[in-house]
Order: sequence, then structure tokens, then C-alpha cells
Amino acid sequence: MQIKKHPILGEKFTEEITFYFNEKPLKAMKGQTVAAALMRNGIRKFGVSRKLFKARGLYCANGRCTSCYVTINGLDHVLSCSTLVEDGMNVHSNESDPDVGGIYN
Amino acid sequence: MKTDLLIIGAGPAGINAALTADAAGAEVILVDESLQPGGQLRQQTQLFSNLPKNKKKTRGTSLNNHLVESLNASNVKVLSNHAMVGSYLNGNIGVTDGFKTFEIHAKKYILATGAQEEGKIFPGWTLPGVMTAGAAQILINRELVLPGKNAVIVGSNDFAFEVIKQLRICGVSIKAVVEDKDQLQSEKQDLLSDLGNITFLTNSTIELASGSGEVEHVSIRTPSGIKELEADFICISNGFTPILEPFEVMNCKFTYKEILGGWLPAYNMNFQTTNSNCYLAGSAAGITTLGPILLTGEIAAWSVLEELEFISPREAHNQKKECWEELMTLENNNVFQKRTEIIADSLLQDNWNPKSYFTELQGGQIHG
Repeated sequence: MQIKKHPILGEKFTEEITFYFNEKPLKAMKGQTVAAALMRNGIRKFGVSRKLFKARGLYCANGRCTSCYVTINGLDHVLSCSTLVEDGMNVHSNESDPDVGGIYN
Repeated sequence: MKTDLLIIGAGPAGINAALTADAAGAEVILVDESLQPGGQLRQQTQLFSNLPKNKKKTRGTSLNNHLVESLNASNVKVLSNHAMVGSYLNGNIGVTDGFKTFEIHAKKYILATGAQEEGKIFPGWTLPGVMTAGAAQILINRELVLPGKNAVIVGSNDFAFEVIKQLRICGVSIKAVVEDKDQLQSEKQDLLSDLGNITFLTNSTIELASGSGEVEHVSIRTPSGIKELEADFICISNGFTPILEPFEVMNCKFTYKEILGGWLPAYNMNFQTTNSNCYLAGSAAGITTLGPILLTGEIAAWSVLEELEFISPREAHNQKKECWEELMTLENNNVFQKRTEIIADSLLQDNWNPKSYFTELQGGQIHG
């Protein structure tokens, strides 16, 4: 659901890139955040809550609410609303708490 | 890192403070956690009037471009994508880019942290497709992405109506506006008449938002019974509250003024908090409109410049007086009234010596 030509701001993005969500290739515009890149492809469920595994997605878009966590290039719990999408980026939905004994410790 | 003035938050208040201080010769670092400066002004496509210095009516986005251009042309050191994460025992502020954390020693600080949106809780409020009005506005105006096709709006304040207008011109259909009070909250009649044909449900609340993994269906409790709507997007506009964590970190005292957004830091005529090195500006000093936000940034900057002796007390006095006079004319009367109450309280505090007070109270002895 990309707005091709904004009624006030006109065209803003020019370069199309490819990223991967749960291994599936998707198109996005360079300059968009990961959250927007997912939503333009109709994906609004970014993951599940930590305890009851309820669907979660973009809520505040400002980096405060942490509802939009995804895993980016292997790093868990990244704010998709505050991270720019990049060509070839690997994004995975957030299905649980990070493995604290994992590779980043 | 060392500087004269460190400003946290590069929204309109922080930028205006930075530009004012920079023009007077102070060394300024401006820190913001977002990828670009501008704060929430970046996606405000609505027109703003009541701006300082007789500035004519302008779109928020145009004013933002102008502010950021001035910032780029100045000597202000801008650290975007950097967040304030704490303070050290020596009073320095800790800043991180997500990988490295370092400390910044500044002679004075201005915290211009802005405001956060208040949520609204109803069954299903955590489903994807439910978001704040600010988030919807970021999606359409910053990201050029539609948050959904059929929207239910919760709340009827000025901001809700601005966002409704912006959603509509991008092609979103507004199914209903749900307001739990008995009348619409926006008092701007011109905004309302711009909206034209729209379903307003007052005395109503959301009974349930449901769907498989995202919002598909909304049940609304109205005085005439339950109304069922097919909607994929719920947009919450329930007002703003000041962002306070950095003030807690800096040991500032707080006060409560409902009209200004609830809890907020106490401050004096110079926009100086109870921590004498910490000043504040913008919505953190009380929820208000864009004109006053710019002016509070300027007053804080003049106060810092005076304190650091970049300008004479006489010049500082004149500049601040000019800003205060403009603030008084531009700001909503009730908001300005509460602001002056905070300042009046601070004057009382200055004369209040806790030690002698308790000495009198306890007959010459301090207990506990």
C-alpha cells in the first residue's frame, strides 16, 4: 500500500531495493524504515508478544513503545520503526525473547 | 566530548534553541535519537498560524525544512541517531549510538525531549492495525505508506481532525470517529467544517477490535446499542504528555498541571529546572502549539547565553522580555495561565529555606 504520489509532498523516494522477510524477497523504497517497508507489502503483523504470543505490529512509530520489534540480520529485538531498510537485509518476525546465551553474549 | 551547551532533542524547540545559542557564539551539540533532526515537525503537513516574529502561515514540513537548512548552515554539531542514556556522577551526560557509549561534558544543558502520545485501552488494542494518530501520520507523510483502507478514529481533538484530513487526501476512508465524552473535543469549527460528511459517535467507546493477527472488525458501544464496522485500521488520538525520563536522570523536581499534559518538570522564568545546570524547552515544558514551542526554545537559549556570559544581562533581559511578550499573545490563555503558575511556584520555592522552616517547626531541632 505505497502512496505513489503524495497529494502534498509529491514523490519522495526514487530507488527501489529488495529485502527479505522470513526468507521471502520483498520490494521497498530506499529511505523507508523496515516497519514501513513491511507495511507497504501488506505485512502488519511483525511478531508476537513474549508471554501470550499475541500478534504485534507498529503502534507508536517513534521508537518508544517497542511493539514493532523484529530480528534484523540475526540481531534480535530491533525497532523496525527506527531502522532504515537496506538492500539485501534479512528481516525475521519476532517470535520470542532473544536467546541471551546466544552469539551476542 | 566537551561543549558550552548540550541540547537533547532536535525538534523545533531544540533546533531553535541551538540556532539562537550558535548565533551568539556558543559551542553547541544537539543530540537526537531519530535518524534525522526535526522531531515531530517532519511529518506535520498541516498549516500552522500563530508563529513568532510575524512569520506567515506555513506547513509544518516547510518550516521543518527551513529549520534543518539553517541548522546545516550553522556551527551546531548535530548527533542524529544518538540517544541520551544516563548521567555520570560528575554530571556529564551519557550518549550512545547503539554501539558505543560516551560522555559529553557541557557547561549547561537544555532538555527539549518533547511529548509522547497517550494511549487508549480497549479489548484488542494491541492488535496490528491499531496505532496512534502520530504513527499514522508518520506512515503517510514520512514513509508514504498507507496504514489501512478503512479507519476508525478514537478521539476528536484538534490533532485527530488534522490527521483525518491528511488520511483522507491519501485515500483512506473514515468509517467513524469515536469519542467517549458527550461532545467533540476540538473547538476549531473551521477544522470540523473541512471534514464534511463523517460519522461522529459521541458517548461511545470501542467494545472490541478483532481479527486474525490484525484488525479486521471493530465493535463500538454507542448510546443506541452496539455498532459493528468492517475496518482494518484504528487510529488513537488521546492527547500528549511531556517526556520526563531525562529530567528524572538529571534530578529535576516535578509538578502537576493537567492542562499542560500532567506531570512536568518545575521551572522558572528562565526555563531553568530545579537542577540549575538544566534548562528545558518545547512540549516538555507543557503541551502547547508550534509558535510557543519555538519561543520556549529561544528563551531557554537566551538564559543559557546570559549565564555563560555570551551576552550582557541587559541584552538577555530585553531578548527574553520580547519572547515572553510574544508567548503571552500567541499561547492559549489557559495554557499560559498554568505556565505562569509553575513560575510563581518556583519563586516561592526560591524564598523557601527548608532548613530554617523545619528549625522553626520543630522548635529549633531537626528530627529525622
